[in-house]
Amino acid sequence: MHPNKLGWLLLAPTMLILFLFGVVPFFYVIWVSFHQWNPFAADPSMIFNWASNYRQLVFDAQFMASLGVTLAFVFFAVLSELVIGYLLAQAFMKDFPGKAFFRTIHTLPLIMAPIIVGSIWKLMTTPSIGIIPSLLDSWFGYNLNIGQSAMAAFITTVVMDIWHWTPLVTLSLIAALVSLPADPFEQAQIDGANKRQIFWHITLPMIRPAIIATVFIRLMDAMRTVDEVLMLTGGGPGSATRYVGVHIFKEVFPRTNYGYGSAISVIVLYLTIVVCWLLYVGLIAPRNTKKG
Amino acid sequence: MSTQDDDMPLAILHTDEDHGPAPEKAGFLPIETNWFDRVFISVVIWVALSLFWFRFMEPAGLTIWISNAIALALACLIVTRG
Repeated sequence: MHPNKLGWLLLAPTMLILFLFGVVPFFYVIWVSFHQWNPFAADPSMIFNWASNYRQLVFDAQFMASLGVTLAFVFFAVLSELVIGYLLAQAFMKDFPGKAFFRTIHTLPLIMAPIIVGSIWKLMTTPSIGIIPSLLDSWFGYNLNIGQSAMAAFITTVVMDIWHWTPLVTLSLIAALVSLPADPFEQAQIDGANKRQIFWHITLPMIRPAIIATVFIRLMDAMRTVDEVLMLTGGGPGSATRYVGVHIFKEVFPRTNYGYGSAISVIVLYLTIVVCWLLYVGLIAPRNTKKG
Repeated sequence: MSTQDDDMPLAILHTDEDHGPAPEKAGFLPIETNWFDRVFISVVIWVALSLFWFRFMEPAGLTIWISNAIALALACLIVTRG
């Protein structure tokens, strides 16, 4: 058998599974987004309504508001995770007593299900029983109540996301830092470069692919965050933490508005792809100078 | 010990490169693109233009088909000369 044919034959099961569980649902969601569909109504049939769901979507003030808070959430969470993750990765590159223990402890949040993370943070931030309001009150005299303060709720969800996902960034950056060759750093030190110059001109350019891949993963994940936030704040107070994932959940499940929920999902996917593509073009394309 | 590649003529070894990524070209877009990039950019513009049209132009009485026609013309331009 020709090696190419054998290769395709070996790939076939994976491609079939990807097609069935990735491509088919994707096109099905697009198909549903062009319909009015309530499967639990007296008439459960799908009614084709052209682009009415998308027309409704651009006038939906609640969706627009949820999109705004989601973008703010993604910006603050991913940026903080990147900075803290890099600092932790640099710290774990050095030897210190108990390094293996701390490295293991710091990755524990990663193995927790988001719904559990949300439950734990709800317990920790509930006034009167939570440790965080208690400590903030005794140390700074600050009364944390995420059920009343929109800003406090938003910041708490960002901090929770940072706590949960920074270890992933740290692990990715540790892998990138470990694989760097020693020669450029030794040459830079011989040439008299200081730590700041080494960071900007050697470390950062060399780990840029890892940073970009990590940012993409985190960005895509943060854009569709649902369960943690739903458990912690339920999208409130008001709509302060009603991120698009939460908005879709509340639109689809309690109101069983599947067509409109699918339309929002498609637009969120579109925005995620566009943001990632713009980041990719902005960070990668300048290196490949245009010919002609 | 010779490997399979050592025994192959150079012309056969080069055939894999012929089936590599689509060639990139420089058009009026500020980045180098292959045909898939240009189709992708066209779809992104089509969706953005349609949403903009739904929100601002359709209430003024302009049908969405005008937006689709503009998007199609832009797509042809981007794919052929982008």
